[in-house]
Amino acid sequence: MRKLFTVYRVLALVVGLLLLALTLGMVLKYGLAEGGDLQVFGDELTAVVALIHGWVYVVYVVVAFLLSRRAGWSLQFLVVMLLAGLVPVLIFWVEHNVASRLRTEHPELRDPDRVTG
Amino acid sequence: MTAPRLPRLLRPAALGVHLLAAVLVAIAGWLGFWQLEAWQAQRAAEASDLTRTEAVALVDAMGPDDPFPGDRVGQPVTVQGTWVPGGSVYVEGREHDGEPGFWAVTPLAVGGPDAAALLVVRGWAPTVADAGEPPTGQAAVTGWLQPPDGTGQRDEDPGDDVLPQLRIADAIQHVDQDLYGAYAVVDPEAAQSNAGSDTLVPADLAELPKASRFTALRNFLYAIEWWFFGAFAAFIWWRWVRDDSALGSASVEDEVDSVV
Repeated sequence: MRKLFTVYRVLALVVGLLLLALTLGMVLKYGLAEGGDLQVFGDELTAVVALIHGWVYVVYVVVAFLLSRRAGWSLQFLVVMLLAGLVPVLIFWVEHNVASRLRTEHPELRDPDRVTG
Repeated sequence: MTAPRLPRLLRPAALGVHLLAAVLVAIAGWLGFWQLEAWQAQRAAEASDLTRTEAVALVDAMGPDDPFPGDRVGQPVTVQGTWVPGGSVYVEGREHDGEPGFWAVTPLAVGGPDAAALLVVRGWAPTVADAGEPPTGQAAVTGWLQPPDGTGQRDEDPGDDVLPQLRIADAIQHVDQDLYGAYAVVDPEAAQSNAGSDTLVPADLAELPKASRFTALRNFLYAIEWWFFGAFAAFIWWRWVRDDSALGSASVEDEVDSVV
């Protein structure tokens, strides 16, 4: 459970950062005049990040599913966890909720930094 | 236990879930196919782009004794030489716009008249008689390089000049010199000199070049992703159905969550 929790948090962070990068790329790609250096950079950034995000998200979906099964959460909450991986910024908030909910329901997961093993 | 009314999985709320699952799976499946089609289309486009690259001299693409260079399928090449009209053959069973017909093929001796020759597909005709007389004399031809046919279909009737396939081993029976391990299809839009294809319909390429393995790989990966999401939606739906029917028969609730 602890391992799964850690993997989920790392994945959520990565997905969140990728979504921010994707947002930046989109803003550059569509917000600037076509052909400029920054616009081309945004275009390429979007293409690469979208591909990486897609595959990291695949893993995120699997891990989120396993975690929600293990914690015995409802399908609705799982859907929220999954959707969060598609909406920029939302995932940071959801990850925070997941973490605090998990710590409430499983006190042994509190303060993961202090507990070793 | 409730009275046996509507089955639990057919109540309105459950029907909504079924519908949602079906829609999600259908959308993901469709998006996957869409990406797969984009992948194929881009590869086909790249393949035909390769046939429009600048023509190179035949000697730069391959020598007379070389095996066919695999990365040169569809490469435009220019050849100068002397026609060997006596070595002309006709390849049967070649279609053009769905109509069966023949390829008119004449070897072009590259350099002197006795030098090794390249088989040149001058064009297509519905019958051998329509193909007209093979050309003679000097020629400068531009065409697409193609690997010889090789499915091993034998020429059942080696006496005539009609072949079932453009195999070098069959064609060489009709000439006195060596043949290149390839043939060229005359490009109707390129500059030609005495290509002998005026009376013929341009022949279609049998083999287009292979697109790079990485061309449009992104679309292919997206296709897989979409199908994964579709499969996942179906899986979640299946779990839901299982859990939900377990809830319905309240007495057996504890055995369900043992998996995963």
